[in-house]
Amino acid sequence: MVGGPVRSRLRRTLALALPVPVIGLVLLLFSGHLALPLDRVVTIEAKMASKRDFFEDPEVRRILMEHGFRLNITRMGSRDIATQDVAGYDVVFPSGQPAADLITRDRAKAGHPVLTYRPFVSPIVLATYREYAETLRDAEIARAQPGGTSGGTSGGASGPLYYRLDMEKFLRQTSEGKRWDDLRIERHGVRNGNKVLAQTSDVCESNSGGTYLGLVSFVWHRNNAPRGLQEADAHARDIKDLLNEQGLPGSERAETYLSVDGKGIAPISVIYEHQFLAHQIRYQATHGKPDHGRVLLYPSTRFVTEPQLVALTDDGERLGELVTEDPELQHRAMELGFRVRDATSDSTSDRLAAFLAERGIQVPVTSADDTKAVLPRLPLLERMIQTVGECPPAQQDAR
Amino acid sequence: MRRPSGVLALCLGLTLTMAVTATVTAGCSGDGDRTTLRVLAGPDLAVLEPLLDELRSETGVELAMDYRADADTGEGLADEEGNAEGNEEGNAEGNTAGRSRAERNGGGRNGGGRNSDGYDLAWLSTDRSFRLRHQDAARGMPRTPTMLSPVVVGLRPQTARALRAESGTTRLSWADVADAAATGTVRFGMADPRRTGTGLAALVGVATAAAGTGGALREDDVSCDRLRGFRSGQRLTAASTRDLLDDFVARPGTANALITYESDLLALNSGGRLEEELEIVRPEDGTVLADFPLLLLDPDRRAAYDEVVRWLRKDSVQREIMRTAQRRPVNPAVAREGSLRAPVGNALYFPDRPGVLERLLDDYGDPRHRVADQVIFLLDFSGSMRGRRMADLRKAFADLSGADPSTTGAFARFHQGERLTVVRFGGRVLEERTVTVRGQEDLRNLADVVARGGYGDATALWTALDHGYRTASSAVADDPRRDVAIVLMTDGENNAGIAYEEFVRRYEARSAGTRTAVRTYPVHFGDADAGALRRAAAKTGGRMVDARESSLSEAFKEIRGCR
Repeated sequence: MVGGPVRSRLRRTLALALPVPVIGLVLLLFSGHLALPLDRVVTIEAKMASKRDFFEDPEVRRILMEHGFRLNITRMGSRDIATQDVAGYDVVFPSGQPAADLITRDRAKAGHPVLTYRPFVSPIVLATYREYAETLRDAEIARAQPGGTSGGTSGGASGPLYYRLDMEKFLRQTSEGKRWDDLRIERHGVRNGNKVLAQTSDVCESNSGGTYLGLVSFVWHRNNAPRGLQEADAHARDIKDLLNEQGLPGSERAETYLSVDGKGIAPISVIYEHQFLAHQIRYQATHGKPDHGRVLLYPSTRFVTEPQLVALTDDGERLGELVTEDPELQHRAMELGFRVRDATSDSTSDRLAAFLAERGIQVPVTSADDTKAVLPRLPLLERMIQTVGECPPAQQDAR
Repeated sequence: MRRPSGVLALCLGLTLTMAVTATVTAGCSGDGDRTTLRVLAGPDLAVLEPLLDELRSETGVELAMDYRADADTGEGLADEEGNAEGNEEGNAEGNTAGRSRAERNGGGRNGGGRNSDGYDLAWLSTDRSFRLRHQDAARGMPRTPTMLSPVVVGLRPQTARALRAESGTTRLSWADVADAAATGTVRFGMADPRRTGTGLAALVGVATAAAGTGGALREDDVSCDRLRGFRSGQRLTAASTRDLLDDFVARPGTANALITYESDLLALNSGGRLEEELEIVRPEDGTVLADFPLLLLDPDRRAAYDEVVRWLRKDSVQREIMRTAQRRPVNPAVAREGSLRAPVGNALYFPDRPGVLERLLDDYGDPRHRVADQVIFLLDFSGSMRGRRMADLRKAFADLSGADPSTTGAFARFHQGERLTVVRFGGRVLEERTVTVRGQEDLRNLADVVARGGYGDATALWTALDHGYRTASSAVADDPRRDVAIVLMTDGENNAGIAYEEFVRRYEARSAGTRTAVRTYPVHFGDADAGALRRAAAKTGGRMVDARESSLSEAFKEIRGCR
């Protein structure tokens, strides 16, 4: 058994008898709130991947604190969350369904069924830079999304923020060994002799990597997901080179993409829509306009990821209920670019659309032409991940 | 839904007496008031030493840095993990060379558990070697990049001018550097790739450019050593970047270029140790970046690790790192200053196969002990070579002498120090000439030999090859470390001299040293007997290439560096 903190779950409820000024100081430190009455603070031990973006947000932390929760977050990839021991944790929050399913299945098998919560969803996207998107557009691999519902500065002279990427054509570039220079990217003032491909996080570790693998396989096999073991193996072998062409995966994709040097070191990165939108919302708040250098490619074959908060303890369940039900937290999730479930309209994105439009940020639209990707059943996807990434099987064994 | 008011619960305890608020936070994160973490550190991290005091006073976490010259190779780390997590081997599947090596290393140590060395964290310039060679140990280990620096080229101003004039471009690439290294224009210093992250990153960068596919290096790309010309320009090496810089400064006449981290070059330029600042060139075809990851080795120290990571990635600390170490912040909120505002350029895809790295390193060998290579060209000068075929042959030699402007041409060209033997043969051996390349003059002499007609009337293929082996044997006897390859170019079938069987008999009678060291690469051209050539290649461990579909130039390029 690997990993897992030896230090057991902390649930500190300690009496406090301190001089008044220190109490004030401590309250400030923990909540940024002076007049906060609390009877106890429950410290939740959590393992998360990209969705720690939500729980590390200061505003979310403040709201959780008001409800008596404090989180200790261990960061690791979603698949690592699932494949390593979860003992000692209250919740784990992998970024997508496959990793969550691995955990719930194993817990159920071990006689400890767990509850899961799905507070929001977010599509998998390819984040890039204007020059790259326009180069793909020249080659008729991508086309601009209609700027339709956007207000103010978006669209128009500064160009669209969103493009629709023909996945099949895009993957064909990779398989033919095309380089960015071959697509004449120099017409947009950039030179790049690297192969045309999207960089992903390690498929052995991350949900985005594994999901993109499923997406690529689906597209490459004419919109089919494998149904049996043999087919899964064959499909995995077919797409292995497409995905491994990038070599050793770098560190966290969104962070690298959003970094100052992102255009040079991660020009096309597979991330989640919320990571991009959160950046645009932040950028707009500081600069008064969206970041027109960074744009999104929506794959013509779409896949919406459903992060699942898996509660392993009673406290974990209370937290799960809270983030799913609490209007303040749901609103904040939307402000962080997530598509939240809307109780009134039964739509996950209407409120987000309105929120973006209010800020003059173009609203992404779904095209009627788009296909929805189907991922293979969990054991098959697991097997494909192991084949492509040459990674060890999930610790509790995938079958 | 809000909870009723009550008593606030917190763990102030002993830290109450401390004045620093941040210390209070640290105390409350569950690791007590003072924490010391033992860190296996790469020497490139030493520059951050001044920040560590601040880290301690602001978070209560002290990093006890143990700088190890070989930290970047990942072997020290693997020993740690090998001891601590020996039970992971049940997970091992796949069968890469690196992985089996990792197991040998791990299992071979009997250190008696993690605490023999007791490192809690590792802080390296790069963990790529570790991740590739010890995949199981590295899998799932928390890692946090702390700063960025690409491996680039620093040139003395005069050298930069010469290089630009020679290559005819202002946008310099690794191919231009390799080309100029082969001619002697660029004499560079680079840390040992077998022992340092910088050297390895540079090597991968150059090799990726040499392969010219735009993808991550694959086994096929490194099956022959394309870096001999580049390597011939190396004048300084060292077991650490710091030693390399010191040596470069102390011996100004030895080298006119440095290949190392951008941060090293910036520090050197601002440090006042050089008469003239180096011009920094970020090669057009892309670079390999280091991200100086902090790794958590002991999962029990997670809280303290998180604390350190949070601190290191704060805006203010990132800014200080940038100013102290001249490395690029990973935190996007921190604006770049000064020379760091220059675009970093494209990052190359880094190979993900351990075998590729091992092969590159094996081929690169020991920079301290270089022995010139020798190539013996056995060239068919029978009558049928007249006209077009001879023109092709002369062009092939001109291309290898520097006329080929392509990237692969720049890497494959003849280089300084290389020994080249040309043997012309017809019905017998007509002429043999050997030059050691010191400059263009030597290459012109060689071209003259090839240009000097004098055709024979038959093709004594096996006699010529036997002659080649005699020459090779004496070269190997002179210096057993010398790499010798034979290129056998013919456009016809053997119709004079000894038979193949006789060649084989003589070949097998040669010393084992010669037989293992010297391979034959036949080039199939015109009406040659492909079956016979392939047999000879197989017999000697070489490989036949076909020039009928491409050209002699391409065929010669393809086997350059094969041995």
